[in-house]
Amino acid sequence: MSWSDFFLMQQELALILLALVLLVVEISLDTENKHKIIPVANFLFIPILVIGFLNTSTGSLFGDMYITDPTRILMKNILNVGVFLVFLQVSNWLKTQANNRNRISEFYLLIISSLIGVNYLISAGNFLMFYLSLELTSIPIAALAAYEQYKHKSAEAGIKMILSSAFSSGILLFGLSLLYAGTGTLNYGAMAIASVDLIQSMGFIFFFSGLAFKISIVPFHLWTADVYEGAPVAVTSYLSVISKGVAVFVLAIVLITLFGEIQGLWQEVIYVTAILTMTIGNLFAIRQKNIKRFLAFSSIAQAGFILLGLVGGSNFGTTAVLYFVLIYIFSNLAAFGVVSVIQNASDKENIYDYNGLYKTNPRLSLVMMLALFSLAGIPPVAGFFGKFFLFAAAAEAGMYVLLLIAVLNAIISLYYYLLVVKAMFINSNDQPVPKIESDFFARAGLILCTAGIIITGFISWIYEYMLNNSFGI
Amino acid sequence: METYIFYILAGAILIFALLSVTTRRVLRAAVYLLFALGSTAGIYFMVEFLFLAAVQLLVYVGGVVVLIIFSILLTSQINDRLEQPEWLKVMATMLLVVVGAGLSLFVIREYDFNISETAMTAPTVSDIGLKLLSYGPGGYVLPFEVISILLLAAMIGAIVIAKRMKEND
Repeated sequence: MSWSDFFLMQQELALILLALVLLVVEISLDTENKHKIIPVANFLFIPILVIGFLNTSTGSLFGDMYITDPTRILMKNILNVGVFLVFLQVSNWLKTQANNRNRISEFYLLIISSLIGVNYLISAGNFLMFYLSLELTSIPIAALAAYEQYKHKSAEAGIKMILSSAFSSGILLFGLSLLYAGTGTLNYGAMAIASVDLIQSMGFIFFFSGLAFKISIVPFHLWTADVYEGAPVAVTSYLSVISKGVAVFVLAIVLITLFGEIQGLWQEVIYVTAILTMTIGNLFAIRQKNIKRFLAFSSIAQAGFILLGLVGGSNFGTTAVLYFVLIYIFSNLAAFGVVSVIQNASDKENIYDYNGLYKTNPRLSLVMMLALFSLAGIPPVAGFFGKFFLFAAAAEAGMYVLLLIAVLNAIISLYYYLLVVKAMFINSNDQPVPKIESDFFARAGLILCTAGIIITGFISWIYEYMLNNSFGI
Repeated sequence: METYIFYILAGAILIFALLSVTTRRVLRAAVYLLFALGSTAGIYFMVEFLFLAAVQLLVYVGGVVVLIIFSILLTSQINDRLEQPEWLKVMATMLLVVVGAGLSLFVIREYDFNISETAMTAPTVSDIGLKLLSYGPGGYVLPFEVISILLLAAMIGAIVIAKRMKEND
């Protein structure tokens, strides 16, 4: 192993370096100037995004503990961009809330540690690495969910998240131990799961359930709404796009490279959970009054749609998943960005508080409308293309009943997304949210998200690149 | 003889685990947990994984449970009893446990395990140390380093939750 081999781990090493630099900067700042870490972190994150595009070679390190190839690097790039957008949105909240002022750098450090876990999780070539990086992604976020510990709901979100993630890790570990018992190895390459053995099927079911907690697939979604509501908006947006996105990506990797031979088994599991997730997520989203809970259930429903891309296990389906997750990051972060700006300025988070938003904040309402259109899948915004490819993937697999249910669900979701749009543009309000002047970073974040929502659907080489680097059975 | 010892230890683990989740006094639950973890160390001793057994005793029995007991003594009223759970919940949990355990037992008993030809030798501490820092095939240096990041993140997380604003701010 030579020094140049370390360049295969470019993104992880750069992130670790960033974490260490931020630790040193934090020590050198005195109490009054802690907020100066915000621009430092935001600007130092840009080189990390660039590094991800420099080297896209294939290789493995540390005796196959770490695997990398263009697809995995692409997945990491997608999620790193998402974290950058979260960073841009969070700055104003961190700066203005008095209770946060002496814990600003900790926020960045925890998100970056979790992101290191995300990157290692995608590149894991061994279930030991898989498990450790999965813990690394969720434990720092559980601490962040309780960031506003003086608020009862935030502390509750923290404890709920840590308990449910410990429980899901336990289930996942039991599944892994059954798989280990069946194959005698933890290495992806050596673990060829060829036959539908009883013990390996059971191992797979437990393994899937553990991951389903992270993606919040029904019936493992019960923690989602409470945690999303209680946690600070920035943490919620991280949870809803990055944690979910990485779990979807590794599920795709593991299903296709490891469990490819027992496709018949997991196809049924995903078929049933996709229907349940879409339908239940949608039905509960209609009833929500709080915008964060509303977006929580909407993100559960979106997870159901994502499963449509996995059900066939084809190259095309995986591409649709990659593409959709990128668009979902832009749309969901735009929606959460607006929620964060409004909550920060006026502490309002109910849907009826958004009544008449267009009168006072036309640009914010426009961004929110585009985001919701994209989530609902209305052309010409990118969300339409994302959903279209997911539906096409289900059609390619020949699952027309599933497709029909998905289309019905897309119509239901259109209804509740439009309710929010109606509230902003048509409903009148005696005390609307006052006019908000957001700061530079928040504005940049929202502009980037909006650009992503509009452009991603039209630039065809993004999709072409994904299709060329995708994988399937 | 070994078989009897195994069943005694396994029975002890089961009973103490069951007691620790059913008792209504927090401190007793912690002590039952101590016994359950201690008996697990016994199983490790039986299969001659001495290092693992020592770690189990030192870390879990000596460290974790003592921490749990400290935190119970510092925070809660030890005389308090947890409220009686509803019988419907008890029944549902029991049903789930019985079905789950039955299913797992059935699956594991049905499976035809590959019995390895070579005799099993327990790794020595130096083997473990070398493996932990080796970067070749079968080495564990990358997980080892990832754990260090995890511990750093966990410490920062604990600080985030525990840190308070100064009163005069």
